[in-house]
Amino acid sequence: MSEDIQLLIDDVVAKALAGDMDPINNIEDRVTRSKAKAALVKAKRFQPQIEVDSKSVQAAEKSDTESKQTIEQIVIASLSKNFSDFLDGEQNNDWVQIKAENWFDIAKYLKTNEDLYFDSLQCNTGVDLEQGMLESRYNLHSMKHLHAIEIRIKVSIEKPDIPSVESLWRVADWFERETYDMFGINFTGHRDLRRILLPEDWDGWPLRKNYEEQETYHGIVVPKVKEGWE
Amino acid sequence: MGVVHGQEMVLNIGPQHPATHGVLRLQVKTDGEVISEITPYLGYLHRCFEKHCENVTYEQVIPFTDRCDYLASMTMNFGYVVAVEKLMDIKVNDRVQHIRVIMAELQRIASHLLATGVFGLDLGAFTPFLHMLRDRERIIDLFEMTCGARLLYNYMWVGGLSHDLPKGFVEATLNFLDYFEPKIDEFENLLGHNKIFVERTADIGIMPAEVAINFGVTGPNLRASGIKWDLRKDDPYSIYDKFDFDIPVGQGIKGTIGDSWDRFYVRLQEIRESVKIVRQAIDQLPKDGDVHQSMPKKIRPPKGSIYSRTESPRGDLGYYIESDGSDTPSRLKMRSPAFTALGVLDEIAGGWLMSDVLAILGSLDIVLGEIDR
Repeated sequence: MSEDIQLLIDDVVAKALAGDMDPINNIEDRVTRSKAKAALVKAKRFQPQIEVDSKSVQAAEKSDTESKQTIEQIVIASLSKNFSDFLDGEQNNDWVQIKAENWFDIAKYLKTNEDLYFDSLQCNTGVDLEQGMLESRYNLHSMKHLHAIEIRIKVSIEKPDIPSVESLWRVADWFERETYDMFGINFTGHRDLRRILLPEDWDGWPLRKNYEEQETYHGIVVPKVKEGWE
Repeated sequence: MGVVHGQEMVLNIGPQHPATHGVLRLQVKTDGEVISEITPYLGYLHRCFEKHCENVTYEQVIPFTDRCDYLASMTMNFGYVVAVEKLMDIKVNDRVQHIRVIMAELQRIASHLLATGVFGLDLGAFTPFLHMLRDRERIIDLFEMTCGARLLYNYMWVGGLSHDLPKGFVEATLNFLDYFEPKIDEFENLLGHNKIFVERTADIGIMPAEVAINFGVTGPNLRASGIKWDLRKDDPYSIYDKFDFDIPVGQGIKGTIGDSWDRFYVRLQEIRESVKIVRQAIDQLPKDGDVHQSMPKKIRPPKGSIYSRTESPRGDLGYYIESDGSDTPSRLKMRSPAFTALGVLDEIAGGWLMSDVLAILGSLDIVLGEIDR
């Protein structure tokens, strides 16, 4: 496309966005006209997004200036006063990665500290990171202060032990049973760690990436996932 | 099950039992008529939702979400598309937002009608159930008019909707609302103030607020315990901040705050609030706007993860999505509200009579498709 045609298209699209469709319709050349119309559709599609984006960027900047620290930084600062050597590897702005060893004490602190007060455990997710690592992720939320945080704990597949927090948040009872059921993460100190969705005598941990179904179950052939099925 | 003492007896309720709302087995330990322990056994309806999701593209997950909570498919779609849109940073236009809210609230009415109706049925009140199903049918007709399906809609897509509203939908909905609003009072009189129903539910299965929070109970069950917590108000998603509505909470009118009757009554009041929202959304519905406008050609969210929650008729519906930058989710977890509601059963049903177990279970409004996934 030559440069002056591109300039012409930009010009008529700008006019059409302002509400004047005539310049586009007056283009003689059919190819150029359709190109201009295609450009217009594209521009319209991106237009509201760009507007909202700039707003959200402004809002983000505003909130940044209002509260200088993110909740992750506040939590890490607060934990550092009471625990040593609890962080695991690099930290990110979206979550806090901690070591498994004193997770129970940290969880107790997060739940009872007046300023943090994470009284509700929203969700517990197991994730298979592959390369021999499993991860348990906790989404905590405070109904008093209305802030939320994600805690991640990484363990190796050979020794997947994480302290259970079931006695702190009772909802973790079933959440941890489900994560155990699907990933085989062993929550130490759980009072009743059994499979929950699958039968007691099922083999293997289904949501691990390298999982293979057992051949038969009580004499019933287990159907395999069909190749190429989407 | 542990030790069974001399006076105790172990009973099985389910898996096939009309009052367990699906296939759920409850192992109940009783001392005479008094319950000492309940152990739920789940998984009879487990269909590997989360494993399937790892093998299909993001669009193909939507029909799976329909089948999890088959009584509130619209809100299941809604929660999922909101999560993926947040992950991809897609903004949808106002018309789509309004249609989504209309559908979600109609679905909430339909779901609560069935929940309250079946609750009555569990306790032997057959007539209110028929009245409620009759009116639920009209909502389902509206959905059929919109997208052709009566139960599993696959209506909300990432970045848009499958169809725009059909001609005559707005009039039909307004007609329905005009017809339906007086009926809510009728339901309240028919079931809520029925002496037998009150005797069976008031002061039964009391759930204190701390217990509810600690067990992660959400939605109408939590609000019945007196906590004003609704994601539509407290963490607004979509355009819920534009509407004017109240959050009904349990007040202990017939008994104690957080009893089974309160859980029933909160649902009935929520139907009224949903009617309000639908009316406002129809009033403000923008005339123009393409429902396919912001639909991406290929859904490939950037690397990263998100936990997003929305308010389904049963409570906090959370989706945890982990994306590795490809077109299939690398991990998708659904945090089901009914799952946590069932978890509290042992805590609140202990000490009550055998016949109360079904009243308490009915008042929690569980859907097994969503619990087992």
